[in-house]
Amino acid sequence: ELQSKVVPSKQMLHSDDIEMEPETMETKSVTDYFNKLHMGSIVYPS
Amino acid sequence: VEYSVFLRRIKPWFFHFHRMEASCLELALEGERLCKSGDCRAGVSFFEAAVQVGTEDLKTLSAIYSQLGNAYFYLHEYTKALEYHHHDLTLARAIGDRLGEAKASGNLGNTLKVLGRFDEAIVCCERHLNISRELHDQVGEARALYNLGNVYHAKGKSISCSGAQDPGEFPEEVKTVLQKAADFYDANLWIVREMGDRAAQGRAYGNLGNTHYLLGNFRPAVISHEQRLLIAKEFGDKAAERRAYSNLGNAYIFLGEFEVAAEHYKKTLQLARQLKDRAVEAQACYSLGNTYTLLQDYEKAIEYHLKHLMIAQELNDSVGEGRACWSLGNAYTALGNHDQAMHFAEKHLEISREVGDRSGELTARM
Repeated sequence: ELQSKVVPSKQMLHSDDIEMEPETMETKSVTDYFNKLHMGSIVYPS
Repeated sequence: VEYSVFLRRIKPWFFHFHRMEASCLELALEGERLCKSGDCRAGVSFFEAAVQVGTEDLKTLSAIYSQLGNAYFYLHEYTKALEYHHHDLTLARAIGDRLGEAKASGNLGNTLKVLGRFDEAIVCCERHLNISRELHDQVGEARALYNLGNVYHAKGKSISCSGAQDPGEFPEEVKTVLQKAADFYDANLWIVREMGDRAAQGRAYGNLGNTHYLLGNFRPAVISHEQRLLIAKEFGDKAAERRAYSNLGNAYIFLGEFEVAAEHYKKTLQLARQLKDRAVEAQACYSLGNTYTLLQDYEKAIEYHLKHLMIAQELNDSVGEGRACWSLGNAYTALGNHDQAMHFAEKHLEISREVGDRSGELTARM
């Protein structure tokens, strides 16, 4: 015979249910690097 | 537009002086553009082609390795990510680029964390922190502290026997690790508050709230998640808002405030629907079903568990389906509807057998 099995609060949630914030990855931008390095010294062809 | 203008400007210069360099650079720039637009898979192809062409400029090569590592990270291909972040670190050290070394170490730390190699991750994140402090780079310092918090948080969760215990009831060893995570998030918050970086504050508050939750400090968890929610709203960041509501719901459950928890889960459900995220919608329905069970409103519990069951079936999520059937069996039992209770108990048993869930099978047999 089935008995009443109301789930108590402490069994219905565990650490897997929590929602984490995203990781922050460091970026090294090729565009920024070349902007800094070369843009000032480029002589444009007329 | 910016990219094409830039490319048009540098093209003649590079083709004039160094044809091969221009080719490598062009491929890398296209890879960068594709990754920024969210197409990491295509970006990887361009970056790998750029590596094949090669360049004598080691700083450019370092940037390419770094971006390849990040692209693979976002694609969840962590072994590849690890490989490229390693290349980047080696190169940054070889050319004496301290800032580059710090960044590579941070990325390596994040990747090792995801791979469960926590002690190595800590070494890398500490290096990121130390170099940032040496260079008086406050942004880097704050980010390294956040990453360290994340590593300790993940380590704590990992050694807590995969969620068998309840929040706040972990062994001392786990609590010590989680407390370290909280300390790092606090240290990060001091800096990002001073800098007025609201986005960084949002992330730190969210994860600090989660750490307090695991430590069983549910009131401070609510305070942190309320802050996270506020910042998410400032930015119109619906995904972060949804996360905050869900985490708030969980904390209120443990505070015994089930009505308040239900209101937060309903907000989660509403946002999950707005964001068209069916898996999260299913989770919100499951949480609501459980909350109404706690409130002994079994009709509403059944309504949400049925919604959860429907989505779990649609997503071919057998574990979710099993959980839904188990919960429905309980709710129908509470209502005295033994036929339906038996139907779902049998379905639960069947699914437990299918997915090889031994404990689920034993529970179902009870």
